[in-house]
Amino acid sequence: MTTGVGVPWVEPDAIAPAATGMLARTQRTLRRDPAALFGSFVLFVFLLTAALAPWLAPNAEQGRGATDVGARELAPSWAHLFGTDHLGRDMLSRVIFGARPALLVAVAVVLLAVLVGVPLGMVAGFRGGRIDELLMRITDLFLSFPPLLLAMVITAVLGPSLIHASLALAVSWWPWYARLARGVTQSLRQAPFIDAARVFGVREPIILLRHILRNATTPILVQATVDAGTVILAIGSLSFLGLAAQPPTPDWGLMVANGRTSVVTEWWIATFPGLAIFLTTLGLNLLGDAMRDILDPRSAT
Amino acid sequence: MSALLSVDDLRLDFVRDGRVASHALRGIDLELGRGEAMGIVGETGCGKTLTGLSVIRMLPTNATATGRIVFDGRDVLTLPERELRSIRGARISMVFQSPATSFNPVFPIGRQLQHVLERHMGMRRKESARRVAEVLGEVELPDPERTMGFYPHELSGGMLQRAMIAMAILCRPSLLIADEPTTALDVTLAEQILRLLRSLQRKHGFSVLFISHDLDLVGDFCDRVAVLYAGRVIESGPATELLVRPFHPYTRALLQALPRHAEPGTPLPAVSGSVPSGLEDPVGCAFAPRCPLVVPECAVRPPLAEVLPGRKVACYRWEVET
Amino acid sequence: MLHWIGRRLLSSIVTLFAITTITFVLARVIPSDPAAVYIGPLARPAEIARVTKQLGLDRSVPVQYLAYMRDLFKGDWGSSLATKEPVLGGIMHRLPATLELILSAMTIAVLVGVPLGVLAARMTGRPIDVVVRIGSVVGISMPIFWLGLLMQAFLSGKLGLVPPTSRLDLTTSVLNPIPHHTGFNLIDAAIAGRWATLGDAAKHLVLPALTLAAYPTGLVARMTRASMLDVLNQDYIRTARTFGLRERRILWQLALRNAFAPTLTVIGLSFAYLLTGTFFVELVYDWPGIGQFATNALLNVDYPVIMGITLFGAIGFLSINLVVDLLQARLDPRVRLR
Repeated sequence: MTTGVGVPWVEPDAIAPAATGMLARTQRTLRRDPAALFGSFVLFVFLLTAALAPWLAPNAEQGRGATDVGARELAPSWAHLFGTDHLGRDMLSRVIFGARPALLVAVAVVLLAVLVGVPLGMVAGFRGGRIDELLMRITDLFLSFPPLLLAMVITAVLGPSLIHASLALAVSWWPWYARLARGVTQSLRQAPFIDAARVFGVREPIILLRHILRNATTPILVQATVDAGTVILAIGSLSFLGLAAQPPTPDWGLMVANGRTSVVTEWWIATFPGLAIFLTTLGLNLLGDAMRDILDPRSAT
Repeated sequence: MSALLSVDDLRLDFVRDGRVASHALRGIDLELGRGEAMGIVGETGCGKTLTGLSVIRMLPTNATATGRIVFDGRDVLTLPERELRSIRGARISMVFQSPATSFNPVFPIGRQLQHVLERHMGMRRKESARRVAEVLGEVELPDPERTMGFYPHELSGGMLQRAMIAMAILCRPSLLIADEPTTALDVTLAEQILRLLRSLQRKHGFSVLFISHDLDLVGDFCDRVAVLYAGRVIESGPATELLVRPFHPYTRALLQALPRHAEPGTPLPAVSGSVPSGLEDPVGCAFAPRCPLVVPECAVRPPLAEVLPGRKVACYRWEVET
Repeated sequence: MLHWIGRRLLSSIVTLFAITTITFVLARVIPSDPAAVYIGPLARPAEIARVTKQLGLDRSVPVQYLAYMRDLFKGDWGSSLATKEPVLGGIMHRLPATLELILSAMTIAVLVGVPLGVLAARMTGRPIDVVVRIGSVVGISMPIFWLGLLMQAFLSGKLGLVPPTSRLDLTTSVLNPIPHHTGFNLIDAAIAGRWATLGDAAKHLVLPALTLAAYPTGLVARMTRASMLDVLNQDYIRTARTFGLRERRILWQLALRNAFAPTLTVIGLSFAYLLTGTFFVELVYDWPGIGQFATNALLNVDYPVIMGITLFGAIGFLSINLVVDLLQARLDPRVRLR
């Protein structure tokens, strides 16, 4: 018996199509791909932690910022699993509470970017012509700055704060969604069912909302998942520089910054919050990849 | 003289999730002599392309093949990969259906042909370039030296197919597999390509496995023809005889569907019904559900039997005239 | 070809103008009182009046814009409020240190990411593919500042393998300074034939470069894998295999050439990422480059420096895109037609 050697192609009609509904594909992906499972797990833990922070944290008051100067810089132990920081706060509680601003910012930034970008992109893609041209030039302009640079500068101009940083991120992020929505809309504009709707006199806003938005939802959702992770990473970076969250906000990036100068001796102060950023971003990235595979069976490998 | 290629009970299954998802070839038997041209005919999905690819063991990763494919005394299916590679392109070569996608878009045509020579003949760059130019001239491409420098997108389909043929005969193979070599070309170009192939065959004496869905074309070009249906050979014989007097009802239906047999003013007859899917495994004759001559015996599959000298057919009712 | 380059250059210039407009708006229009911003929180009214006049803020916005553009063209990008150092000079002076870092990181990313991506694509589903896939996502999910701190703490602090900060040992830079040719320590030391110094510079460079390389390595591996998978399914690869070409040649010389175009795009994007990524690395490793200049300016609201670096970054990104497009055209003969 001989098995095929390295020619990964098949006559298209040679394989009987298996029953592959979305649910079946989701199950199969989760079963086959431990990365996808890990991603879902991380997202679940992250949401749970953010929601239940006051109950999960060993010391909720310190999680919110209360200090205990008598217990400064304690190494990890059973009493303080993640140790304590320079102000004696239990790091585990701080990290748990850190899930809240992270989640809030991730949702806010992505939502803002979607709310601004998607309608603009859809209108541009649907109308075409001069509106389209103008919008694309504007997005080009935004995308011609290195990532994060524009957000950094806007935050610096507005003054460092978590809200300003979120706004700045949203401002530099919406063009991506405008492009995505425009692409989907353009590819659908000539689709027969859209023509049919037009012929039957369905008004343009209704067409956009009912038909095009529905088809654009999945790619936008995938992008939003990946971006939520990237936003958490970005806001952590801005906080680390001192441009976003200000003390005593339990922000992961800020906590890493606090532990920066003493990282050789009190390694735990910077390590655990950074790990939280890393794991959350990693989980959301893996989940986004898995969603892409599930929603677009052709890209599955 | 022994056959150059003999295929014996070749079966090919596609596997998915550890189970057989479809039977693509269900036991192919073929024999090809030296210098002979054999046509393999059938509808889309009957397995003719896979048969051709199996001969050089270019199988998809999710396929498993059993049976024997003996080329020049050695079984291709059990040959070590290394030896197989030195046969591919040197002793057995292939011409594909779509010349436009079969060449790499980012290398000049000449370089791609040189790669083959450098691989199999161990030639140096200069030497291989000279030889490539020579063979490009042999396939009647104008100004070979210049053509070598062109990228695939700068040449027409017909020119590309000539270049592909040049690539196929570079190392003087003993077998050339032509998989629908003219399907992507228009009629006059197709004629020219066929004429070229024939004259090259006459000159160099290689055997040809000519895969096509077009009976007329195969009849023109080949000495012998094998008709495939649902992964099996259902009839084979000398082209001249088989096309004049087909035995199998399926071959007859195919011939009648050719435009040249049509009565002017009447619609072209079509073979009604459709090919069984790859998963079904009919016990009887696979053509029975579509066959006008079906009888109860057809529930047991008829073997491919030599009914007249050189003529084989897998049908109980081959003698029935229609 | 020339025509195409010309059009591409022209559109870059248009974008550049638009970018200067944005920096102008950010610097002069958004702040309610730019002069006060320029001087800082302790500004006295008299001083504000003087700066208002000096910056031409009493004139109309279009006139200000023209003046701003004229100064930019003359190479007068203003001076740092904190140190009075001219902005453009400051950037140029720090550029070699940053470039040394970015180019090293990019070299690592390409030398590691491309082969890994190719191997993963060839071995889909096998252990190496799984490792590359997960590794590449880890790379792009890594908070660079955190990675830097950890490497610094463990590899340098705990194990003492390499020095934790700066570009050279103090003793080297004070007692045995490298003659300045290019500003790249590695090159300058090599030119001068000072091998000990070269080793010292290399040792200092290792950690920052590795840290900065994490993200682009992941991105490059990911993209190479994806586009290789696509290419390996193409008819022309089947042709190559049908003609018995060696797998090594098919993979590394043929398919990689086809797959490299998308990878090149990603390399361009990575450069853009590195332009800001270096801010964090330079902060963590105390690397005296543009990044440190930038972070200090951002925290002190040192307007002229912030705007100068923004503009410089955008110009850098624009030039990289231009180069990538040109290489793209070199790589794929079909692109030239457009």
